[in-house]
Amino acid sequence: MSGFKRDWSGNAKRRDGPKSAPKQVVRNAYTPMFESLRDELDEHHDRRERIVKASRDITALSKKIIFSLQRVRKIENRLPANIQSEVDSRLAEISKLLASIAPEIQGINRYRYSRSLMCLEELVEALTFAHYLRTQTLISYAELDPVVQDLTRKGATSEDQVMADASDTAGSTTTTTEIPPSSTIEPPTFSLTQEDYLYGVFDLTGEMMRFATTSTALTGTMAGGQTENGGSDGEDDEPRTIVQDMHELGTFFEMLPVAPGNRFQWDKKLEVTRQSVQKVERLGYDRIIRGSERPKGWVPDLSSGDQGQGDEVE
Amino acid sequence: MAPPMIDPSLFDQLKTNIEEDTSVRKELDQFLDDLNQHVSLTQGVLSRIHSTPRAKYATLLGQVQGGINKEIETVGRLAVFASQYPYYKYNHKWTRMVQDAISTVILCAWLGGMSTESRPGEVGRLLTLEEIGQAFNVPVNLKDRDAFHITIEEYLLGLIAVIDDLSRLAVNSVTLGDNAMAVQISGFIKDLHAGFQVLNLKNDILRKRVDSIKYSVKKVEDVVYDLSLRNLIPAQDAQ
Repeated sequence: MSGFKRDWSGNAKRRDGPKSAPKQVVRNAYTPMFESLRDELDEHHDRRERIVKASRDITALSKKIIFSLQRVRKIENRLPANIQSEVDSRLAEISKLLASIAPEIQGINRYRYSRSLMCLEELVEALTFAHYLRTQTLISYAELDPVVQDLTRKGATSEDQVMADASDTAGSTTTTTEIPPSSTIEPPTFSLTQEDYLYGVFDLTGEMMRFATTSTALTGTMAGGQTENGGSDGEDDEPRTIVQDMHELGTFFEMLPVAPGNRFQWDKKLEVTRQSVQKVERLGYDRIIRGSERPKGWVPDLSSGDQGQGDEVE
Repeated sequence: MAPPMIDPSLFDQLKTNIEEDTSVRKELDQFLDDLNQHVSLTQGVLSRIHSTPRAKYATLLGQVQGGINKEIETVGRLAVFASQYPYYKYNHKWTRMVQDAISTVILCAWLGGMSTESRPGEVGRLLTLEEIGQAFNVPVNLKDRDAFHITIEEYLLGLIAVIDDLSRLAVNSVTLGDNAMAVQISGFIKDLHAGFQVLNLKNDILRKRVDSIKYSVKKVEDVVYDLSLRNLIPAQDAQ
């Protein structure tokens, strides 16, 4: 407690008050116990602080990756070179941050700090979106988890190299530098939780909706499988478009049982997903009904559509 | 043939995991129902201290001990089950109940119960976190492995509930003519209050509860003030 109390005549009173005469000392029988508990709690709070800081940076970088990816116009095996290099440089930064928090969230601490690790959802969103733009498929949890572990591992090793080159720059990225430069020790990694994955994929649907809207508007075609592939096909099926993909994702989430951790959040995310699916549906409809009338290169007025998205997503 | 948007096995895998998660929570709820019953009963019996003179504590604490034994047994079963899963994934489900159970044990021991062969019970004894762990037969403040344990926060929150209850007892003990008890409680609560000031608290539930201790301090100080004003404080007997 700060400050002090005054007695009746306005003189400062001793903190313990005059009544318990023999207990004037600040220390008492329980002080040592509380001091040791304090040290334990401080350790926990400091660790959380470090995690929260890194998490905030990872979130920001992931969002930047998503912005870069939104400049892609069609689904194809390779991202455009300039976008790929933007993504790579952001991922390199994320790697280092992941490596810096990996030792903090080993074992029992993985779930202890899971609420401070919202960045992982954002990272999942960025990675699944990049994967979709390249392959037009949803990367599974089993495929994605090793990707994040690889990122963490790379971050740890690249840091060692940096430390050899210039130790001062490495010092600024990690708080604990006692990791020996010998890279024989496997750097610690961690797994995504299923919640990280699922909520990240929920957000993916919003990004796909934005991508579908801009790419359709700017290219006049619905994003989907390459038409060149159509030459090699034995069947006369048209390549899948993003409308079908959104439908499939929508059904996917509708069919999944509600994850019991946070029903409220699940319901909210599911509702946003439904809206995204319907927006893309509408795009598909527009293209079928008016596509033939539309002259090549015609660009629709996006102003109203963009406003609509802005307040629905996030 | 292009691969499908979503690999069918992914859905099955996620669905299975979610279902497992749900059933784990259901099973935990059953343990917690049991624990809730025992804790409520024990708290109920303990509330009789407010109308029981010190001479009759022994009988009362015997009954309390019976309830506590059931708590301990249930926590033991919970610990075995919960240790199969990441501790902090489900900790929020039982933490309140475990805090309440800890409170009953701390209070019972403070009143002179929870005696063991090596340590006879005495009024005014505070069980430490480690002793609470021994009483429940579970580890405390685990860091090196992922299993059920009692956390520092749970212990401290349980202790704060005891402080609140003791401040009430200070009032009632005076009513029962046991002024020495009120004085002893006053000293104990002030010491603990000073102890809690040692902690560096963040803006969380613990901080909020610790802030409430000052009202207990005030309450017992008022009682002691009333006693001293009327020369009713027993000379040195309380020590």
